[in-house]
Amino acid sequence: MKINAKDVLAGLLLASFAIAGLWLNQDHTLGTARRMGPGYMPMLTFWLLLGIGGIVFLIGLFNGPDKLERWAMRELILVLAALGVFGLILEQAGLFVTLAVTIGISTLADNTHKPKGVIGLILFLLALCWWVFIRELDIRIELWPSFWR
Amino acid sequence: MESLISNLVLGFGVALSFDNLIFALLGAFIGTAIGVLPGIGPVATISLLLPITFGMSPTTAIIMLAGIYYGAQYGGSTTAILLNLPGEVSSVVTVLEGYKMARKGRAGAALATAALASFFAGTVATIVVAGSGPLLTSVALSFGPADYFSLMFLGLVISAVLAQGSVIKGIGMVVLGVGLGLVGTDVQTGQQRFTFGVPELSDGIGFVAIAMGMFGIAEIILNLERPESRNVLTHKVGSLFLTREEFRRAIPSTIRGTALGTVLGILPGGGAALSSFGSYMMERKISKYRHEFGTGAIEGVAGPEAANNAAAQSSFIPLLTLGIPANAVMALMVGALIIQGIQPGPRMVEAQPDLFWGLICSMWVGNVMLLVINLPMIGMWVKLLEVPYRYLYPSILVFCAIGVYSLNNNVFDVYLTVVFGLFGYLCSKLKLEGAPLLIGFVLGPMMEEHLRRAMLLSRGDVMVFFERPISASMLAISFIALATMLLPGLRSKKNAALAEG
Repeated sequence: MKINAKDVLAGLLLASFAIAGLWLNQDHTLGTARRMGPGYMPMLTFWLLLGIGGIVFLIGLFNGPDKLERWAMRELILVLAALGVFGLILEQAGLFVTLAVTIGISTLADNTHKPKGVIGLILFLLALCWWVFIRELDIRIELWPSFWR
Repeated sequence: MESLISNLVLGFGVALSFDNLIFALLGAFIGTAIGVLPGIGPVATISLLLPITFGMSPTTAIIMLAGIYYGAQYGGSTTAILLNLPGEVSSVVTVLEGYKMARKGRAGAALATAALASFFAGTVATIVVAGSGPLLTSVALSFGPADYFSLMFLGLVISAVLAQGSVIKGIGMVVLGVGLGLVGTDVQTGQQRFTFGVPELSDGIGFVAIAMGMFGIAEIILNLERPESRNVLTHKVGSLFLTREEFRRAIPSTIRGTALGTVLGILPGGGAALSSFGSYMMERKISKYRHEFGTGAIEGVAGPEAANNAAAQSSFIPLLTLGIPANAVMALMVGALIIQGIQPGPRMVEAQPDLFWGLICSMWVGNVMLLVINLPMIGMWVKLLEVPYRYLYPSILVFCAIGVYSLNNNVFDVYLTVVFGLFGYLCSKLKLEGAPLLIGFVLGPMMEEHLRRAMLLSRGDVMVFFERPISASMLAISFIALATMLLPGLRSKKNAALAEG
């Protein structure tokens, strides 16, 4: 048996979405085929998804071998963290501080960065974002930290 | 005929207005830039720029976004020819002959061929869109709900079948996309579905958050884990002028590429990448100079480049006439239109003639601009490649972040983007394609509506889908497409074809 780990996991992933969907769908009235309730289409969709997930899983047991690839955990966590932090502190810290922090975190994901380059990048992007989003597009966003205002 | 001319006059009036010209130019410019840069494609860029188009008129917004899409097809060929590195998926095959031409000292000629072939294809495709649009629209207006449902079903099937990699996984992603599209308030009963009581989810999952997460953020992480390999240009671009011999050889390939691209672009799931590949295969089989392939044959540049540009434009046909996106970029266009309060579909030609004809004419105007942007300014674009990725990705990231936040001035959308960034990375590690998911997500809610309506009209009888001729033929085609692709022989042929590209 040559297991295709990617397909096996992909099948499990699709099937677990389907099971979660079907479970949550118990709250919705199904209705009849003629008068479909809010639960009818989800029922069709997730049963279909469950079936497909199952097929992908079963095929994956035989069409390998295809091993899982390594995850670039460092890059993954840092990039997602940079974005998450942006959301967390934006409303208190204001746009400028938030951007500087976000860019700072994101540059850690690539180890060829040098401090000087990072500072230059931050200054350049602060100016660019101010020009594009504040001056030209005039989006509603606080610029400075809350204690400053 | 007369009405076509008056419509085109209207269209050019719209396309040549100051605002629209500026934004078409901006779109073409941005498109070329991201086309040149590997690691950021049109899907990510358009989702990135969606939020900033909200303040514009719908016509201007779509004109700019369209410019990005076909601009990227031009830009992608530049890096392919000069650096042996495709800037976009659609220029993967241009590398094969284009880079060989560059090594023979004919880089300028290859670039000129790519640009001129693209321009020719763009012009032809514009005419095809203008001519077939109203025709198809009048057909589409006779569609009932059952026909629509089957048409969308066909669209989803084909987009899954033609996606890269495994067909069954493609279908899985489409269905998952449909499932994600169900989140939010049920239109007919007002009941909240799958919202977990989160008020931000009652309008559904943010379309921009999905697109940016899966195509923008996940791409960044994937690019970071691959070490950068860009050999900076070593040979001169050389003369941009073609010799008479080269010109003569490029013409038939350009025409064949244009025809193939126009047809494949209309098919759901087709689009630019598939067409350029198809054209390359065709040229290698039927060109008079096929023995020169692999050593820098101009046919291998002219054909695929014509094909990808023609396809980029003709893929607007199903969007503008039926409201059905043929690929991920068109799914974004649907999103852009819906956010602007316009439901894409057959009524758009009559309800929004400015948008319909303005967009068509601006495509041609945009192609003229691209010719100017690309050929004389080639040096500037090559310089752009010297910007290292380590400066590029933080910029993409903050633009994503601000863009997503400004959608609703709500940080919830930023968190959603983080989630879909992670999900997108997971999917690419498991070889699950993102594009079918996006198309399913856009089409899902529409399908549900048509399904309900059709079943209500037929009093719960499923046979309505098989009795109406239009609907029945759509379903028949879907099943044939599915059956043929699930046969092992054909599937391995498709995979071999895609792998080679």
